[in-house]
Amino acid sequence: MDFTLSDEQEMLRDTARALFTKEFPSTLLRDAAYDVTDAGPAEARAVFDAHLRDWFALGDPGVGAGGAAAAGGSSLVDLCLFLEESGTAVVDGPLWSSAALCLPLLRAIGHPDADAVAAGELTGTVALAGADGHWVPNTEPTKCFVPDAASVDRVAFVSAAGAGAGGGAEVVVADAARLTMREVATLDRSRAVFEVAVPADGADSSPIAADALTDVLERATVALAAELVGAARWLREATLAYVGERVQFGRPVGSFQGLQWMLVDAALVHERATAAVYYAAMCIDADDPDRHSAVHVAKAAAGSAARRWAKDGLQAHGGIGYTWEHDLHLRLRRAYAADHLLGDTDWHHDRLADLIF
Amino acid sequence: MKLTWGPQEDAFRGELVEFINDYAPPEALGGKDWIGTATGDIPRWARDWQATLFDHGWMIPAYPPELGGRNATPLQSLIYQEEMGGRGIPRSVHFGGYAIVGPSLLEFGNDEQKALAPAAIRGDTIWCVGMSEPDAGSDLANLSTRAVPDGDSFVVTGQKVWTSYAAHAAKCFCYVRTDTEAAKHKGISVLVIDMDTPGIEVRPLRHITGSAEFAEVFFNDVVVPAGRLVGELNNGWRITMGSLAHERGGLWVDGVASAQRAIDDLVDLAQRRGRAADPVVRRQLAELHEEARSLRALGYKGFASFAQGSSSPEHSFMKLATSELRQRLYEFGMDLQGPYGAVVDPDRSADGGRWQHAWQISLAATIGGGTSEIQRNVVATRVLGLPRG
Repeated sequence: MDFTLSDEQEMLRDTARALFTKEFPSTLLRDAAYDVTDAGPAEARAVFDAHLRDWFALGDPGVGAGGAAAAGGSSLVDLCLFLEESGTAVVDGPLWSSAALCLPLLRAIGHPDADAVAAGELTGTVALAGADGHWVPNTEPTKCFVPDAASVDRVAFVSAAGAGAGGGAEVVVADAARLTMREVATLDRSRAVFEVAVPADGADSSPIAADALTDVLERATVALAAELVGAARWLREATLAYVGERVQFGRPVGSFQGLQWMLVDAALVHERATAAVYYAAMCIDADDPDRHSAVHVAKAAAGSAARRWAKDGLQAHGGIGYTWEHDLHLRLRRAYAADHLLGDTDWHHDRLADLIF
Repeated sequence: MKLTWGPQEDAFRGELVEFINDYAPPEALGGKDWIGTATGDIPRWARDWQATLFDHGWMIPAYPPELGGRNATPLQSLIYQEEMGGRGIPRSVHFGGYAIVGPSLLEFGNDEQKALAPAAIRGDTIWCVGMSEPDAGSDLANLSTRAVPDGDSFVVTGQKVWTSYAAHAAKCFCYVRTDTEAAKHKGISVLVIDMDTPGIEVRPLRHITGSAEFAEVFFNDVVVPAGRLVGELNNGWRITMGSLAHERGGLWVDGVASAQRAIDDLVDLAQRRGRAADPVVRRQLAELHEEARSLRALGYKGFASFAQGSSSPEHSFMKLATSELRQRLYEFGMDLQGPYGAVVDPDRSADGGRWQHAWQISLAATIGGGTSEIQRNVVATRVLGLPRG
């Protein structure tokens, strides 16, 4: 397999890196979600609208077999390159939920709003998990862990179809403004999750086959894993820079072997997680038979890498890393919340076991 | 990014597979975790197989035909390693001759020494590599075997240890100290020493499995003609650093391939031992699988930068990671056997004692070729850019 980036992909990555560095400073996130100022939330929304809506079509699976990737359009690899960069910055707003979760679902059911989401005119998310938090179709009247539900235009509800439907599900797309929801606070205030009641008015539903739903969730999972390795990368870079500068006992603390070995082991986890994410994205783009296994490997590795760097990075920073003022905890929060979303490391390991046994 | 290589690469792979099907002996096709014998001698089939690989241009594909290759590109070399590693086919029992000595002679030797390379690569001449000494392990530059100029010769005195296949070797590629005044790294040279020279004594050294591939080699006033010096006097340290650059891009392939084979077999073993429903066993194996698969992806990611001519930090991790992973895999194979975990009786332990034996051998993998501790130091400073301690 060939991990070489095309010229276009290198340009995409560089553009994204510049965009998130320049337009998404941590003050934007803090003012909107952590030390909320009067103008903060509106400003974060304005920056989101100005800079991110144009990118929702990245990785758009399009319609028909093979989707846009087969037609020479953008691929899931492209979306992952973009989300890895957004993960370094921690974006407040429905970027992942619109581009990686809602759009593939709307495409899968051929919903008329799909084009508007792809064009950035609408934002959206998906409501699927029941009270146990697992993203497995169910018939519960309230869906849990619905990301960004209060800040999107559309919520696509996925519920298990009745008996005899062959494991399929049905999808109801609702206007978010008229839904009843309750925010459930998590460690990560930059991606709020909600409990949302399934609308009771019997809106038109569309069927979705089990394998089509699996495809949607696998895309979203790999994209979230890309965001996680981005968060891990920020933590790694910040930590390595800090231990190279911080002097104790007359020498940089990064010269101590005990610290070096801890960081080498963490760097290895991050390196292999990053590779696993792009391998999984390639598998999905090619609809390779290894894709299911690759998705579990990618999410488990990426969740582990982000959590590892959050913890070891904080430890290596010492006291300063434990402060509210330091930006480290913004990524620590994202790392833990995103690891637990769409299946945590343990859950993906167990699914992997089901595949290899 | 794409999953598959192109049609030219597929054709190359096809040629290799055809060769394997036609020529590989059954002993080479077993997909074993180790090769080698209790006495440390090299089996006949392995000698013949290495010569066959050479004669058909499949020993070191990147080399020209006269050196056992076919002028393969870096990508073709990777495909070669994929296919051989994936099937667990060994090229040679003695790594030193084709992988260290041959390439070093070609890069640093004079014409007469270069002429020794084909036989080293074909395995016609068994070589040992005299590097480690009792006081020069990880600190290799501390070596103290002396070579003192005396007319047209050097007189060599000292001791080497952990010298693989010394008891069977015709020649030694030997690192010696030729300047005791200079800084450690600057007083080292390399000599080609015939093993039948008077004054050389080889004592087999058994390792923990009981087999004797290693040896101690003692040099007592061994007279070596001055013309056996490889490269320049006191410039030997460079030779330790450079060899086989074209193979380095794929050295990880065998590590991940054998890890993957072990995982597949561990699943099978867990099923046979009634442990397949145990949630702890399942999760542990899934974790190991995650590690092996992600390391495989990392190896390919590193290859992409390697093939474009840039350095590949990814590969600095691979030896460290695969050697430690394999230890854990084989140990897991022992644990799956419960009370039989430490049984080596081939009639009572699973798979004829495979896991116990492979585990013992794997303990050497985190020591030889640079200990895991040295690897971590190297990654910390050269890859992560941390300050030296």
